Amino acid sequence: MNLLAVGCSHRTAPVAVRERLAFRDDQLPRALEALTTRLDCEAVILSTCNRVELYVGRVLDHPTRAAAPLDGETVVAFLAEFHGVAVEEIRPHLYVRQQADAVRHLFRVAASLDSLIVGEGQIAGQVKRAYELGQKCDAPGPMLHALFPHARRVAKRVRTETGIARGHVSVSSAAVDYVRQVFDHFGDKTVLVIGAGKMGELTLRHLRRMEPRRIFVANRSPEKALAVAKGCGGEAVPWDRLDEMLARADIVLSTTGAPEPVVTLERYRRIAAQRVGGPLVILDIAVPRDFDPRIHDGDRTCLFNIDDLKRIQEATLSDRRRHVGPAEAVVEQETQRFLKEWRRRRNGPVIERLTQDLESKREEVVRNLFARLNGRLTDEDRRFIEYAFVKLQNQFLHGPISALTEDQPADAAGHTLLDALRKLFRLRE
Amino acid sequence: MYGVTLVCFTTSYAAALGLELWRQFRPRMVYYFLGVGFGVAGLLTQSLYLAVKRPVGWMVILAWVLAVFYLYGSIHHRRLAWGVFVLPVVLGLLGLSALFGPGFDQLTLADYNRFWGLLHAGLLLLAAVGVCVGFCASLMYLFRAGQLRAKTLPGKGLSLPSLERLEQMNRRAIDWAFPLLTAGVVIGLFLMLQQPMADWTDPRVLGAGVLWLAFLVLLVLRYGWNLRGRAVALLTIAAFLLLVLSLILPHPTGGPQ
Repeated sequence: MNLLAVGCSHRTAPVAVRERLAFRDDQLPRALEALTTRLDCEAVILSTCNRVELYVGRVLDHPTRAAAPLDGETVVAFLAEFHGVAVEEIRPHLYVRQQADAVRHLFRVAASLDSLIVGEGQIAGQVKRAYELGQKCDAPGPMLHALFPHARRVAKRVRTETGIARGHVSVSSAAVDYVRQVFDHFGDKTVLVIGAGKMGELTLRHLRRMEPRRIFVANRSPEKALAVAKGCGGEAVPWDRLDEMLARADIVLSTTGAPEPVVTLERYRRIAAQRVGGPLVILDIAVPRDFDPRIHDGDRTCLFNIDDLKRIQEATLSDRRRHVGPAEAVVEQETQRFLKEWRRRRNGPVIERLTQDLESKREEVVRNLFARLNGRLTDEDRRFIEYAFVKLQNQFLHGPISALTEDQPADAAGHTLLDALRKLFRLRE
Repeated sequence: MYGVTLVCFTTSYAAALGLELWRQFRPRMVYYFLGVGFGVAGLLTQSLYLAVKRPVGWMVILAWVLAVFYLYGSIHHRRLAWGVFVLPVVLGLLGLSALFGPGFDQLTLADYNRFWGLLHAGLLLLAAVGVCVGFCASLMYLFRAGQLRAKTLPGKGLSLPSLERLEQMNRRAIDWAFPLLTAGVVIGLFLMLQQPMADWTDPRVLGAGVLWLAFLVLLVLRYGWNLRGRAVALLTIAAFLLLVLSLILPHPTGGPQ
């Protein structure tokens, strides 16, 4: 197996370098074709905002027509040439992983152990898409066809067997966790959005997934209120009806840019007196805050501000970090499993030929022996002799087969144990 | 018969509670299954006890219904700390039954062999179940409200249903319990009127009256004054304490005093 992973990530390269090396969707087919043709290899290119990686491989006993050897330098040279940058410029930011390290690296990437936010779910999908795009371009070969589906299984196993993906890490999704502590169903709930901040938009997207009955949008600017309402399928309400809407709402998402609190304690007391429904959850993600924090009582009014939401985020990340160890153990286990399976797969035909060859020779020898000793052997003698030869054959094969299933690095000239066995036993292709 | 005593199933429920508590600190499914296993064992033993034991105590029957409620909740809401709130009530009722000596709350079927007598007892029992469920929901509500007040991180601490669901559970329990209690008390009054020497100052009669009035106040505050949340939960707890008090008191129409 000759497998390489060459690339850069958020850990090794600043965004300025990453964006120069990134492959746009329309560039990928051309890049894959150029790479596979020039290096006579199989390839998959993973290009996301946080990493650019080229996975290239060549089966060792595959006769190559490429002039250049398949190593890190040739892949780096290809990357530099494709993007029109100097090799020296990008070389310090690149890493090259080979053989088992390359397998391990892909599994870690797919399992989101190498991500900016450990445990995030996007990368597994991105790895899958990279492989699918490669398939469309006919770029992966037997090695990558085995490797990438295995990487997907590793990612799934890590997610289900460890808590690495548990909890919400974005402030906007963490808000939903608090809301769910208060409400159970949302089909009869009214959401009021105050303001039109960017963060509010993201949080509103999460709230909308819960399918509330109605969404009202209040903003000092009627135009902005209309725009936000249109975007979320809500209804714009005039700013002077804010108190009335607060009395009707079940969930409030506040994200104005007001320098002073919009709802003071006194104002809220007047609003609360008008409320007839259940509890009110206020997600105040504005800075400075829109609601007086004293209105929070944990019973009829639950107010959560940006600091509370960040606490969830930090707790989730810290919780995920505890699961990195077990997740790494799964990756290591799967790396060894993949390598073992790959060796078995590659060596299977050779072992089969070797066994068949020896078996036919044994049968011939035994047949000749029985012919010479015809009439002088009892049935029991014949069985014993047959058994002895089979045992000898198995003992003879045990050494070479065991050696093949173990790791077998190629020598300086690229020869492997498999080549040696073929020559020693004169096994035909 | 069968050698089943109060201690058998009380021990099973106590073990289930211990495992449920332990699960809060060491969240492993094995503790959950063991806990539910002890709960099922307790319920089966208690069912056998109720089937063969005569006379039967009120509180033991009530505890049996609540044990069913515990198992239902534990199986349907595996992740929630259901047993932490329901099992102490079950154990408390069994404890009271044992504490006040044999027969203080006995439901003597001989005394209730008439249709109205049985209906009276059955309605009061069902109302008591409603009050107990409301009590458990109120305890959970107060705990959940405390978590929200302290802004405990989601997923940390005891896992409980949402505030809305707990309020709904409490409301439904009370809404069901009040008509049953009213009907039970009215039939009780009717039975008392038929007795030539009815003692209207009997503590249990007074207790039932006070409990009914407390419920009436609770409903008026709830629906008339739109009282909600913590205040309703506290009033439900008070109603439960009155219920326990009225169950402890001796019955005026018979049964062991």
